Amino acid sequence: MKLSFTGLSVERSGRNILHPTSLRIEAGERVGLIGTSGSGKSTLGHALVDELRTLGQSIAHVPQSPDEALDPLRSIAFHWREAERALGLDPNAARQQELFHALRIEDGDVGKRSWSWSRGMQQRFVIAMALIGTPDLLVLDEPTSALDPVVAASTMTLLREYLSKRQTAMLLITHDLGLASRHAERLLVMQDGQIVEDASTDQLLEAPATKAAQSLSTHRSWLQLPC
Amino acid sequence: MLKVDNVAVRRAKSVTLRDVTLTLPSGRTLAVVGESGAGKSTLIAAILGLVKLARGTISWNNQPVSACRPALVMQEPRAAFNPALKLRRSVMEPVKARSIIPEMGRLERLCDGLELPPDLLDRRPAEVSIGQAQRVGILRALIAAPPLVLFDEPLSALDAVTQKHTARLIADLQSEEGFAALIVTHDLGYAAAYSDEIVVLNKGRVEEAGPARSFIESPQTAYGKTLRDAAFALGALELAA
Repeated sequence: MKLSFTGLSVERSGRNILHPTSLRIEAGERVGLIGTSGSGKSTLGHALVDELRTLGQSIAHVPQSPDEALDPLRSIAFHWREAERALGLDPNAARQQELFHALRIEDGDVGKRSWSWSRGMQQRFVIAMALIGTPDLLVLDEPTSALDPVVAASTMTLLREYLSKRQTAMLLITHDLGLASRHAERLLVMQDGQIVEDASTDQLLEAPATKAAQSLSTHRSWLQLPC
Repeated sequence: MLKVDNVAVRRAKSVTLRDVTLTLPSGRTLAVVGESGAGKSTLIAAILGLVKLARGTISWNNQPVSACRPALVMQEPRAAFNPALKLRRSVMEPVKARSIIPEMGRLERLCDGLELPPDLLDRRPAEVSIGQAQRVGILRALIAAPPLVLFDEPLSALDAVTQKHTARLIADLQSEEGFAALIVTHDLGYAAAYSDEIVVLNKGRVEEAGPARSFIESPQTAYGKTLRDAAFALGALELAA
């Protein structure tokens, strides 16, 4: 399902922190929203989740840290039940099993509280919860920044496999062009509250048109090794 | 030279470091990489004398490390400062504590090297950007000219562009000042780009150690290869076109 909106803006204390923005995301498309700290990418992420939900579209959002999504006093099973209830879904063991398997968390004890799971397991559980309602778009806000590199890399790989099977679109919000270029086919560059460049990943890496994209491209990796 | 010799640390019955041996000469950079729980932060605590060693010794030029007054740069820039104090007062704490007088113009020279406008120090931590706060943290670490600086995930709170810029500034200052730098990081890309040697910690043990470039090109252990491959998968390292 195609998702789109036009003229979305956000004002705070009389100042435009998100200039009027229009966007279209195709079914199953993997889009990266990139920019430096303070460029407005998370503001756009939150605003588009609200806007698309208002328009009746099925959107799920995964925050940067699992701490933002999990109550340390509640069990993992409680969170799962609450997520199902919020979506008006009946408990479905097969659905849970499928998502837990897809994100390799089937060995976790759901009767335990979230903090007894590793950070990687917690973040994968939050992603699994976000997928319960088979959304058309999954918005991931810096999904790997709280994770170790090995766990981060495998989480992104598992997630991509799952999303491509379901034709679920992904919006990956990150400051890291290196990460975005590995997982997105199209990139949106944010600067000062507006999208200043919208290009395919290959095109942006090859010939970034704006200063913001050029800076991100120059700083995208630490080291280039000879082939 | 920093010498960590056959060190073991036990915490709450479990062993968090075992048989750790490494050396770091003046002016050189050693990166300690590994996942959460590998023992990286415990190693920093052990070097600073904050945890008791179950076995082994740690020394700087054959003296206790505390004698050289090492400096520490912490992960969360703003949390590293007293929020009620202006940054200038926090920055000058190390020189006050040691009752030393920095050489004339040192503060201004370091500010210049870290691209910090001098009037920024008259603000409080919440009034500067996170990247500026981290550079002020580095300024505070260097103001008393320590021979050894420990960096605990110094770039992890910064965005990708600011990370690379700050890493460059640290390296430039190191070549001017000549301090030994021990960098604890989970970012193998940073370690590969800015360290001379890499030590891979896994479950409290040294899994492998060697020159940074040769580790990246051909890690000797399966775990080292997993870390290196993850750095490629996340775009921290890439192959030239």
